[in-house]
Amino acid sequence: MQVTLMQGLLIGLFAIISGIDFWWEGFYIFRPMIVCTITGLILGNLTLGIVAAGLTELAFAGLTPVGGTQPPNPIMAGIMTVVLAYTTGKSPATAIGLALPFSILMQYIILFYYSAFSVLTKKLDTYAEKGETKRFTNLALLPTWIVGLTYGIIAFLCVYGAQGPMKSLVNAMPVWLSHGFEIAGSILPAVGFGLLLKSMLKARYVPYLLIGFTAACFIKFGNLMPVAIIGVALALIEYNRSKKDAENDKKLKTAMENSNGGDDEDGI
Amino acid sequence: MKMESKKSETPTRGKLTKHDVGMLGIRSIFNQSAMNYERMQADGWTLAMIPSLKKIYKDDKEGLANAMKSNLQFINTNNYAAPLLMGLEASLEENGEKRSTIDGLRIALFGPLAGIGDAITWFTILPIVAGITASFAKQGSVLGPLIFFLVYVAMFFARIPIARLGYTTGTKAISKIRENSAIVSHAASVLGCTVIGGLIATYVQITVKTKIPVTAGHTISIQTQFFDRIFPNILPLGYTFLLYWLLKKKNVSPVMLILVTFILAIALSWLGVL
Repeated sequence: MQVTLMQGLLIGLFAIISGIDFWWEGFYIFRPMIVCTITGLILGNLTLGIVAAGLTELAFAGLTPVGGTQPPNPIMAGIMTVVLAYTTGKSPATAIGLALPFSILMQYIILFYYSAFSVLTKKLDTYAEKGETKRFTNLALLPTWIVGLTYGIIAFLCVYGAQGPMKSLVNAMPVWLSHGFEIAGSILPAVGFGLLLKSMLKARYVPYLLIGFTAACFIKFGNLMPVAIIGVALALIEYNRSKKDAENDKKLKTAMENSNGGDDEDGI
Repeated sequence: MKMESKKSETPTRGKLTKHDVGMLGIRSIFNQSAMNYERMQADGWTLAMIPSLKKIYKDDKEGLANAMKSNLQFINTNNYAAPLLMGLEASLEENGEKRSTIDGLRIALFGPLAGIGDAITWFTILPIVAGITASFAKQGSVLGPLIFFLVYVAMFFARIPIARLGYTTGTKAISKIRENSAIVSHAASVLGCTVIGGLIATYVQITVKTKIPVTAGHTISIQTQFFDRIFPNILPLGYTFLLYWLLKKKNVSPVMLILVTFILAIALSWLGVL
């Protein structure tokens, strides 16, 4: 299948909107769940978009911009997964792997911008010192427009410009290679979950991880809701217990202080 | 020095309405508008605060300039915690607290708030919402993206009550945040870890194809007759833990692990193992 110029432009436009959304972390339309769906809609194959949305969203579940870090870019991953599946006829699972270089490219562009936008701080300081709110506003918003425009251009070039070479590249791939990409796509969520665990998992949370894992292995249900409910129950138990502990600690402390006051003469 | 002398006369400050504080919550979306490595969100943070500061300082141009300049100090917090802190700061500015008090509190609080905010939004809400909506999406149901979208639209508008909460609790909020942030993060981590356990079992797929010939015409499948009999999904769990260990203890970069995963998958596909 071919991406038309009109479709390429529409995807570029959507990349601008979702790019700004990612920059601001506003409505989360930058997550692959939405990006893939909209891209599928533009290409006239909504179902493909939605199926790819589920796969790509999970592959990127742990790749989050926490604490000012930049993960591989979810927008380019989402767009290119659907576009590559659409143009080459490969399964979305295979396409996730093929989309990855585009995602990493965008990641590095954003990292470059993080450094580059430091040059604006001096000028913003001067506007602040003079209380010039209008000029300050315009300049503080400039990075947003630059980032949005970059998304639009990159997305359009990747989608429309690169589709020919990508298609011949993919068609030249032997079966074991494209099967390898498909397998990688289905293992990829492990990287994301590993990253989530890196920030969350402490020794005392391992039991909960195991409970969730075991529950999901044996509860046969269409989605993760049962596991989420078990998680909420466990969290409530822990919340109440920690709260009580904290109160007891406080009482203990005041009691100790009181008794200390009395014993002061005996010295330490 | 001029600003010190000005402060002692403290011109009367304007008061924000409930609507103003709500708008501050909406404007908190600008928090990352000029994100950069020098002072992270500070420029966007100040941009979000401008209308509130303007209303509070009215004609006091110097006070406004001072407030803007002080807001331009390094800050990096969670984007849903930002409106809380903005509301809190607005109430302090309004009460004419000392500049050093306001700045000190903002700097002291953005870190803990980032921790609790990230624990709730990125490590708990996102995995749960993604896990549940992805199960719809994988079957091609439009419910997946639709529910996902609605959840995050609701999250966006939650910035309004969050900003109001910060504004109304004011200084009272500080001891509350200090006291409860550890407990709430703990509970969120319990929920998050449980769900991630479930996600590993559901969405990481590794199936070994290799069959070992025992006698002529009789083979043993490593997957169904070995791994699955130990425990279902034991390979995904093992591989995730391996990656976790490499990320945490060996400081391997995620991009590196993604590449290694691809090379491994392709090599094992070529060998016919996976």
